[in-house]
Amino acid sequence: MVEVPEYVKIVEEIFDRYKGKEFLYIGRHIQRWDAVEKIKGKALFTADFLKYYRNFVWVHSVRTRYAHARIKGIDYSEALKYPGVLRVITAKDIPGVNDVGYVIPDQPLLVESKARFIGDILALIVAEDPYVAREAEELIRVNYEKLPVITDPLQVIDLRTLEEKEHPLIHEERGSDIITHFKIRKGDVEKAVKDADVVVEGEYETPFQEHAYLEPEATIATPEPDGGVTLISSTQCPFDVRKIVAKVLGVTQNKVRVIVPAVGGGFGGKEDVADELGAKAALAAVLTGRPAVAIHTREESMIGHSKRHPMKAWYRHAATRDGKLLAVEANIVLDTGAYASLGPFVAWRATVHSTGPYRTESARVDTKAVYTNNVYAGAFRGFGGPQTAFAVERQMDLLAEELGMDPVDLRLKNILREGDRTVHGQLLTAEHGVGLEEALRKAVEAAKWYEKRKAYSSQTGVLRKGIGVALMYHGNSIGVEGADYSSATLIVNRDGSITFRTGLMDMGQGALWGLVLIAAEILGVPPQYFKVEYPDTASTPDAGPTVASRSTVMGGAATVNAAYKLRQRLNYVASKILGCPESEIEIKAPDVYCRSDPSKKTKWMEVVEQSFWLGIPLQEFGYFRAPPAEWNEETGQGAPYVTYTFGAIIAEVTVDTETGGVKVDRIITSYDIGKVINRVGAELHSEGGAIQGLGYALMEEIVHDSEGRVKNPNLSTYYVPTIYDAPDEIVSLWVEAGYRRGPFGAKGLGEPSINAIAPAIVNAVSHATGVRYNSIPLTPEKVFLGLKKAGKIRL
Amino acid sequence: MIPIQRFDVYRPISLNDALEVLRREGSGIRPIAGGTDVLVLMRDGKLGKVGKLLDLWPIRKELSYIKIEDGYVRVGALTTIDELCSSDLVSDRRYAGLMDACRGFGAPFLKNVATVGGNIGTSHPLSDFTVAFLTLDAEVKLVSGSGERYVPLKNFFTGFRTNVRRPDELIAEVRFREAPENSSTAFMKFDRRWAHAMGYILCGGFIEFEGSLIKDVRVAFDSVSNPYPERAFKTEEFLRGKEFSEELIREAYTRVLPTEMRRISDYRASAEYRLDLSKILMKRVLLKIRERVGGE
Amino acid sequence: MEIVPREEWDNYPDIEIKLNVNGKDYKVKVKPYERLLDVLRYKLGLTGPKEGCGRGECGACSVIMDGKVVPSCLVLAVRADGSKILTVEGLAPEGKIHAIQKALLDTFAVQCGYCFPGFEMAIKALLDRTLDPTDEEIKEALSGNICRCGSYKRFMKAVKLAAKYIKEGKVYFDEEEVRR
Repeated sequence: MVEVPEYVKIVEEIFDRYKGKEFLYIGRHIQRWDAVEKIKGKALFTADFLKYYRNFVWVHSVRTRYAHARIKGIDYSEALKYPGVLRVITAKDIPGVNDVGYVIPDQPLLVESKARFIGDILALIVAEDPYVAREAEELIRVNYEKLPVITDPLQVIDLRTLEEKEHPLIHEERGSDIITHFKIRKGDVEKAVKDADVVVEGEYETPFQEHAYLEPEATIATPEPDGGVTLISSTQCPFDVRKIVAKVLGVTQNKVRVIVPAVGGGFGGKEDVADELGAKAALAAVLTGRPAVAIHTREESMIGHSKRHPMKAWYRHAATRDGKLLAVEANIVLDTGAYASLGPFVAWRATVHSTGPYRTESARVDTKAVYTNNVYAGAFRGFGGPQTAFAVERQMDLLAEELGMDPVDLRLKNILREGDRTVHGQLLTAEHGVGLEEALRKAVEAAKWYEKRKAYSSQTGVLRKGIGVALMYHGNSIGVEGADYSSATLIVNRDGSITFRTGLMDMGQGALWGLVLIAAEILGVPPQYFKVEYPDTASTPDAGPTVASRSTVMGGAATVNAAYKLRQRLNYVASKILGCPESEIEIKAPDVYCRSDPSKKTKWMEVVEQSFWLGIPLQEFGYFRAPPAEWNEETGQGAPYVTYTFGAIIAEVTVDTETGGVKVDRIITSYDIGKVINRVGAELHSEGGAIQGLGYALMEEIVHDSEGRVKNPNLSTYYVPTIYDAPDEIVSLWVEAGYRRGPFGAKGLGEPSINAIAPAIVNAVSHATGVRYNSIPLTPEKVFLGLKKAGKIRL
Repeated sequence: MIPIQRFDVYRPISLNDALEVLRREGSGIRPIAGGTDVLVLMRDGKLGKVGKLLDLWPIRKELSYIKIEDGYVRVGALTTIDELCSSDLVSDRRYAGLMDACRGFGAPFLKNVATVGGNIGTSHPLSDFTVAFLTLDAEVKLVSGSGERYVPLKNFFTGFRTNVRRPDELIAEVRFREAPENSSTAFMKFDRRWAHAMGYILCGGFIEFEGSLIKDVRVAFDSVSNPYPERAFKTEEFLRGKEFSEELIREAYTRVLPTEMRRISDYRASAEYRLDLSKILMKRVLLKIRERVGGE
Repeated sequence: MEIVPREEWDNYPDIEIKLNVNGKDYKVKVKPYERLLDVLRYKLGLTGPKEGCGRGECGACSVIMDGKVVPSCLVLAVRADGSKILTVEGLAPEGKIHAIQKALLDTFAVQCGYCFPGFEMAIKALLDRTLDPTDEEIKEALSGNICRCGSYKRFMKAVKLAAKYIKEGKVYFDEEEVRR
């Protein structure tokens, strides 16, 4: 029996105590702390800080001309003489370690011997002026030995056998271009397929998706007298930036300080590229003795930072006549591009979720991630989830079609419910909170699913309507990727205002406000008393990276701990003032009183002041560490995540069968997030995720040519949804099947809010047209040519 | 490599001043109107080292106008797209195609700086207004220090992003004869998203009706067989003089259009789809024109 | 620290321009190739307008110049000579919040906030033209502004709410009160 740590018990106690209670702040619509600055245009993003700096230098990245080439020599002597150029930095000038790889140390900051993708950096030009730096680039002579370029992952690996093929190695130093292999082995799949009444199989593909956050990457580095450096960085992981910069500079971590101001979107894209910018700017700052700024243009951003892993997958589902899943088989290939980045973790998460939120008698899944000379792939909201959900949910619809069953009914037959075991053998209990069925039923009712499904199957005319469903689940915390811990500090200042410090950052998702609402609820103090500090490695505690939809669940649990302990101290002081037991103290700031006798009352300010005199420090540090995950490498059995967020999406579309144009009319989202903490944030996630998922479904793809160059590195040829593309209506429904070890029962929503959008839309289009589509983006051309091939168009 | 450049700018005090500078410096100085194309091309490194720009904005007063005189509609080259789209001209039923082009042109902020002359000057196949003006059988007025000349828009382009303008000339105006009463125009584009998009293809049309007879017709595309906006002359010839009907249009795009249209495949769309889409948009454009001239 | 003196690498003329920004007159020296966006941000310290793409594809740099919304990343600073410019910072006087901004707060549209300055300019230009915009007119006016966080539906609602406030005579709100 494993001893349950104190910090977990506190979260469970809060969950039990507040169950069924009315909340003052949790679940309400409350304006976020930085809303006014942002609407006034006063919020400061990294590049905005430049208006306060003098004498800073610009760092310009000289990138390779060829996607795959040996670098025989770089001659920058002429560039160094160009007026206005201060330095040219190459790999040999790096004092520490020349590596910025996130999981595997396979990614040099500056290329030493070999360029592997079009964004690889050969040298840094440090100059007085950004125009000068770019002009000087033309004077750099590079001796390239071109190598064959591989842009198709199936040149590296066979989809059916998953064997590596003979090919010119991209990472010769590793001896193989396969970076990981994850498996699930459950039951006897071969027997199940033989015994099954129905078997459906299909091949599915998804593209490189670009984050396209509106704020391009930026970092300002200022050299410190002790040889260290302070960075202002647009990053999701300040402590990782610190780690990498310290490694590259060859200094201890405590000499590198990283501060994160307002960030204009991240979506997973600013998890590792910020390490690169941090290192670039820090090097320049330390070598010139001046503040250094590295900002990417949009084009650089698009070729220079990680993308969503494209997937090519083969799936086979076997079921009984009445729809019970007997076997799910999958071969999944993920293209991780030139470097691994977070690829190994993405491949793992994809594997865990590869069979969807369903029970199945048996399963065999093999996932391999491979290198190519494409732009490297890493973290992007969903992290393997959207890819596998697309394949799984299309398969389920195909199965429903073969069985003559309604797609919702087929899913209801197989979904995970409380008391079921997942495909990994994890038993789901009431403590996990399993709200998938409720979520699906709510969505079905709101959508009038059965009526519309029937009505739309007999249409004539050029415009055809369709309705589709997709389900998903998303494991909370980082599972076996590492030790998932988080922390927060609450400090009550002498004047009664509160400082909230955590290493988690805000990129627009608003999770930090949820943490404040949690603290506010437990302390009994209005959220407006709190100031959220910028994450700062010098003063905010390491709360882990802002990734994996973990801010609310993990950061929230740490905040529960801090607030709980702080409340105890406040209760102690208040009871000394009011003379009633600590358990009786009610705080509804600015008032504090005894529950049994409200006439015994005082003010918040008095309690704060007395704490000072009584010697009770009003600061608390809260820490939380998720229960360790369990995962068997050979069988994929265990308990990979602490719990799961569940979701059901129903999408309605109108297809113009003459052009293939798809208009998404309505998206209904129905998520079980345990408990809605920051209601505004939750709703915005449902809407924003729906729109970003719509882009993934219908229009977004980064395209490489045969030489590995990105053909569409800008926002007119990489199509991001505009206001016209947003659905006419997005309905957000909520299910609160509480997770006992989450703050007030909450689970994460950051990534779940995109996972199942694309398959719901594609399922709807298939319904509208009667054509099976298995590849996204489902552009008008694909829709049209599918209709044409099926003989359904009369031109 | 995205060089954003340093360059010099010459700001002329009058059209004559600008022409004098062009005469002197020829291709050593590059005219810039709205800037939405030239600055982006420079950013992408496609113009090499530019050195000097001739800013046409200061001479807007002289070159931004919409006049109707002597049977011609004359639009100054520096008229912004927004000015064109807010004018009375586009609410004239005959020129409704221009109104269509306004709707799909792109962001409002681009319409406020992009100019009519610039749209034609880019000579890019995906120029909305070029296609629309082709359906009105427009002419381009070129001026230089040594005089002026009119070139029919249909003869203006010579290749991808190339035209007959000499380095010492400026596009001063676009003009077309006032369209007959029983006529109208339409324009359509289609792309992967519903706004702010260049378009896979562009299609514009003009029909003059006599009852239900197609007295005269023009059909223009972003490209027919060349990499610049063109008219589909064979298809026009087939349609001219015949009774308007959907069947007729279908026959035109099934039998005739494919004989003169050669589409290319690129990463955005395939040749097959572009050709089929051309057929569909042509049909929709012509049907729209019929609707506008009081048919059904 | 190492420095290369300006005279060695800066051989382009300085051009003096006069512009009125958010009601104040400025005289600024600019380079011929300098963009209006950079002048506003780094010479005048108005970092409201943002750079999202530098090519007129995202709307983040939108400002209102002589009554029209323009992409300041594609407007050469020399063109702004003699013009009247409005940025997000000039929508409301110090201590006040404009109806458009209040509406964006009331519809809870704020996520990362990077696109807001651009959207607010587009909305201002629209509402200056009409206080009864149709849905189509709103979409058209905002069609060039990208919001990757996905607040589009909120912008639609906010425009109508802002129009309502303005029609009721409530153009400015007190910032202190709003914060509470």
